[in-house]
Amino acid sequence: MSATPGAFARVALIALVAVILQLSGFGPDRLFGGRPDLVPLVVAAVAIYAGSVAGAATGFGTGMLLDLAVGGTMGASSLVLSAVGYGVGRYREVRDPAHGLMPIPVGALATLAWVTAFAAVSFMLDVGASVSPLVFRDMLLTIALNAVIALPVFALCRRVLRPALLVDPLDLRRRRQPPREAGPLGLRGLEI
Amino acid sequence: MFDSKVVRRRRAALAVFVGLSLVMLTAYFGESAGGVFHTLQRGTQEALAPFETGAGRALKPFRDLFGWFGDTVDAKGENDRLEGEVEALRKRVAEADTATRDVRQLRGLVKLSRQEGFPQGTEPVAARVIAHSPTVWYSTVKIDKGSGDGVKEDQPVIAAGGLAGKVTRVTGGTSEVTLITDASSAVSAQVMPNGANGVVKPELGKPEDLLLDFIEKGRRVTKGTTVVTSGFTSSKVESRFPRGVPIGRVSRVDLDEVELYQRVHVEPFADLRRIDVVQVLTSKGSPDEQQAEVLVP
Repeated sequence: MSATPGAFARVALIALVAVILQLSGFGPDRLFGGRPDLVPLVVAAVAIYAGSVAGAATGFGTGMLLDLAVGGTMGASSLVLSAVGYGVGRYREVRDPAHGLMPIPVGALATLAWVTAFAAVSFMLDVGASVSPLVFRDMLLTIALNAVIALPVFALCRRVLRPALLVDPLDLRRRRQPPREAGPLGLRGLEI
Repeated sequence: MFDSKVVRRRRAALAVFVGLSLVMLTAYFGESAGGVFHTLQRGTQEALAPFETGAGRALKPFRDLFGWFGDTVDAKGENDRLEGEVEALRKRVAEADTATRDVRQLRGLVKLSRQEGFPQGTEPVAARVIAHSPTVWYSTVKIDKGSGDGVKEDQPVIAAGGLAGKVTRVTGGTSEVTLITDASSAVSAQVMPNGANGVVKPELGKPEDLLLDFIEKGRRVTKGTTVVTSGFTSSKVESRFPRGVPIGRVSRVDLDEVELYQRVHVEPFADLRRIDVVQVLTSKGSPDEQQAEVLVP
């Protein structure tokens, strides 16, 4: 993704909308006892389309906004979401996934990383109360619900980010049509 | 992709973000409530409040739709239980009315209220919940009333049914309420009618099940009894809750021969997972006025 003011504005808009929706709209929803969590999904979406550095930056910014808005421990969400964004971005850079259903496993894994790492950080920092095993049920339900909503969330993020993207990893046409004058392996100068 | 400069830059970016997060964590724990980050949090919450209010209202129909499915499933079983409960409550209301009349007359005669620290007069301020904490680790909600409406820190908050929490942060137009299911919460409580004292604490991940700890073995607590705030101060957290606010009903009592205390499970009266409207019990007049009001029934 090109580091232009427009790109920053698009990512900031996604983060802001996700945090506000999460706090006011998605928070109280409890489907089957759990609730979806938009925040790790949008961080993962930005990372998968824009790469590891942009993913880490988005994770950091979104986490900071979340901590500021919630009144939680400053830095806890930033720390975890930076790592989640970086990890998802690196996955994209190394594996270059293009499957249409890719958002589902990526969203689920990003949510898994977020809930477990945030739980660990919270538990280490300032939670003195006893913890029920039902916390794990909540985590699993959040992961499952996020997997369900991952496709539309990724699609929305892609639509917002697309004008600022240098390469769209889901652009199938790019893959199906090798560059002109390329050899059978798709590499210039290797017309074997 | 394998350019060493790119790899170094990428790792440096991650290190910077992780480092900044750790710096924020350290600074946040080190600063007082009036520090930079706390002030920033208050400012951000105030700035985002209108957007959260708007989004909350716009999304309420969708929330209600999802809630309707769950409620329909639960309603049938709950209906039978509630019918029996209504019957029992009618009887208790009649008894309570009689007792209230008696108590009022006795209070006027022997002026017991002053010695017993009867509940001080409060002015309930109704508020709408505009934001919920997104994780199970922090049970807080944000409400649309703040210092401009007379809300102050540590004031108790009630929801439909019973105690919800207390105000922990106040801005001009909004307040943050820490629910009794938050990890930091500890409410001194009393089991009625036998008067056994204890401290109600949450069990993270189970908002429908609170724990009443530190009750002596000798004071036997039975299932179905009501738990109210005692108005005492616990060892760790200063309780600002007035006496007599209902918290919940005893749902289970674990008796362990090894442990010194009983482990009492309390089902809160207020549905803390889905609260839309609360009341903040703000102070009503000066303490002298409150005393005078109590003495004149």
